[in-house]
Amino acid sequence: MNPDSLLLTPIFLPLLAASIVLTSKSFLPVKARRFSEYFGILIGLLMPIIFVLLLYPYVINQGSLFLVIGSYTPKIGIVYKFDSLSLVMIVLTNLLTLPAWIYSRTVGPSQSYFTALILIQSATIAAISMTNDIFNLFVCLEVMGLIAYVLISSKQEKNAVFAAFNYMMYSSSSMVFFLLGSFGLYRLTGSLSYQEITNALLNLSSKELNIALICLLLMIVPILLRVAIMPLSNWLVGAHSKAPHAVSALLSGILIKIPLFVLVRVFSISPILKNLTFPLAYIGSATALIGVIFALSQSDAKKLLAYHSISQIGYIITAWAMALNVGIDTTPGAILLIAALFHTFSHAIFKGLLFLSIGTATDAAESRDVYKIRGVNSILSQKGERFPITMICFLVGALSIMAIPPFNGFFSKTLLTYYLKPSINYTILSIAGVGTVASFIKLSRIFLPNKQIKEQTKEFSKEKFPFSIHLSLIILALLALLTGIFSQNIFELLENMFISTSKRPINKTIFFSQANIIKTLYTVLGGVLLFVIATSKVGSKVLHKLKGIKTDFTDQYFHFAITITLLSYFLFV
Amino acid sequence: MRKAKLLKVFLTIIIITLATFPIIMSNVSWPTFTRDYLFVNALNETGASNTVSSIYLGYRLMDTLGETLVLFVAITGTMSILLNLHKHELESVKTQSTLVPEKRVKNALRTNLVEVVASKLGPIILLFGLYVMLFGHISPGGGFQGGVIFASAIVFLVLATDVKTKITNSHVLERIEAISFISLILITTYVIFFPEGFFSTIDIGSSFLSAGIIILLNIIIGIKVGTSIAVMIIAMMGGKHDN
Repeated sequence: MNPDSLLLTPIFLPLLAASIVLTSKSFLPVKARRFSEYFGILIGLLMPIIFVLLLYPYVINQGSLFLVIGSYTPKIGIVYKFDSLSLVMIVLTNLLTLPAWIYSRTVGPSQSYFTALILIQSATIAAISMTNDIFNLFVCLEVMGLIAYVLISSKQEKNAVFAAFNYMMYSSSSMVFFLLGSFGLYRLTGSLSYQEITNALLNLSSKELNIALICLLLMIVPILLRVAIMPLSNWLVGAHSKAPHAVSALLSGILIKIPLFVLVRVFSISPILKNLTFPLAYIGSATALIGVIFALSQSDAKKLLAYHSISQIGYIITAWAMALNVGIDTTPGAILLIAALFHTFSHAIFKGLLFLSIGTATDAAESRDVYKIRGVNSILSQKGERFPITMICFLVGALSIMAIPPFNGFFSKTLLTYYLKPSINYTILSIAGVGTVASFIKLSRIFLPNKQIKEQTKEFSKEKFPFSIHLSLIILALLALLTGIFSQNIFELLENMFISTSKRPINKTIFFSQANIIKTLYTVLGGVLLFVIATSKVGSKVLHKLKGIKTDFTDQYFHFAITITLLSYFLFV
Repeated sequence: MRKAKLLKVFLTIIIITLATFPIIMSNVSWPTFTRDYLFVNALNETGASNTVSSIYLGYRLMDTLGETLVLFVAITGTMSILLNLHKHELESVKTQSTLVPEKRVKNALRTNLVEVVASKLGPIILLFGLYVMLFGHISPGGGFQGGVIFASAIVFLVLATDVKTKITNSHVLERIEAISFISLILITTYVIFFPEGFFSTIDIGSSFLSAGIIILLNIIIGIKVGTSIAVMIIAMMGGKHDN
């Protein structure tokens, strides 16, 4: 097979699988439907990984593969470009969707349409990662947003539909500005593909160039909204905490990060956009810190995790923005981009793990209040769990997010902060690390044994604990451990793809240096201290006030407007 | 509190207006390359004399596929919310008949007049929907428009309770929808295994069939859109409709 036809398999195989699942849903009996769902996941999620990995040598040798769909002239048709970034994004998505899907089998939503939607989502992400056309990007982002909306509302919980609706209104109305921006760019340049727009922008007068920059800004802000950078992140907490657990894992793990890496391409359209990267790095660090403070103040376990998603995306944004600031062709820039990708990967793993294990725990305890739940283990063993796998997997996730070796979080965070070192971002991110430790000590308390019910009769009920929960948790926990242990190899693999041979750094043993271990120790100590302060009288008063801050629909749009103003200030002044 | 909110709304509107103003009001001359290129080449390259069709089913079929997915996902979401709603309130509110002399027991909100008109108009609109789909490549119209007309015809047939037809049964409609979805994907995928390129058109040769695959796509998209919207409206009218 030639590479061009392999290129589109990650888009069309999931779509084909989704249509097979839907057809069997309306024609076949229930058992056959189940079978067709497994078959669909096999050809829709797993086969594309193999096909994409077959393209690895082409990416190494040629850098990127171009394809104009329908082989029309590139100025009219839709241009697709496959490079190392697309490869990483597709493999990441398909690999990490699988545990969430396995988890959903028994816990729900387990209908056929859920499988079909997950498959369509994987196809959309593959298209987003390859497209080089702003209108096609718009369509793909719309599909992605709508699928998220449907998935969130599929839980019959109170307010789930409202949270989903809030998210949909906010993101769709901001996408109007994206459409307006792409219209403006088309009007100025007469083209929709990135390459043609870049060429056409060189020939514009300064007045026209300013209009083009406003258009680009109007395209960037809605994408940043999907990424949930701080003033634009209000929608995330409701949406991610109200969704079914499997969907929360999927949303936090994958969906909020894909748009960020799409922005790498959008930023390459005009060199002037570099002005934005420095402020964005600061906003990213601020997001990391503020997110963690809010997480510390939450009492709802899933809301706490949702705020941690915001905080971790702050880390990624900082590294990503600094990478663009230095230039992704230079060695430090490329390493920062690799670090952002690596942290995306490890965050997707451990946040998925945390959402699924906490989801299992809170479902068993029938409450989500961190202060009230105690002794989850005994509750779970009443439900038939013979070995505390849920707790162990939760601890793996918590240790990863606290950046403790040998789990993946340690390595990705070390790599991420390595090139940021002298700047103020590094300091802010270190403080955020302390906050992460504190809030996870708080969350871990739900596994403490319950003092009130002391000796329970050690009688296992006849209920069988669902195997799919354990399977998905174990897959994720193993991934977290393995990507930690083999981080050096993963780093080299990414290095092969993103940095040309001559520019590679010589010193690669930055992970296990003594300074990093000592820093981790300090972070943990600081975290314990912060936890003690937070549980003291003054601390809990402050946190209670923070928890009381509420934002409504007007505020969201106001934040949107503020972001536009702020970024245009940095762009033009 | 209220004043602060009003101020926020005011500021938001002003900022957004300022940001979009230069794009809407700019007097930059329109780009001409695409227009001229399509004027010369569209008919030859895609075979559709309706240039709009040649764009959305030829040059930018990938976007159209995406839009079909948008519609599909939106309807799936609406259906799941609607079905959840129906679980909670099993008994719909029974209202009195609109026209007193009719004394209806079933379908209290309808009248004989509505039923008769709907039953006569339904088949005609169905035919018109098919026409719009089939002639999308040479005249204004196409799959999406034809599909919506198709859906409204089905709704008319549902309103007309006396009409005996299987096409208003949501199970049947769902089956048709699934088949049209899988064939849409298959048609767009088949060219993966052909080296001449993606979405290339089949040249059938004779006069109005020259648009080849565009006609096929118009029909399939039309049926897909029509059936899925019809299923949704039937669900909105009060659950599954079985004759």
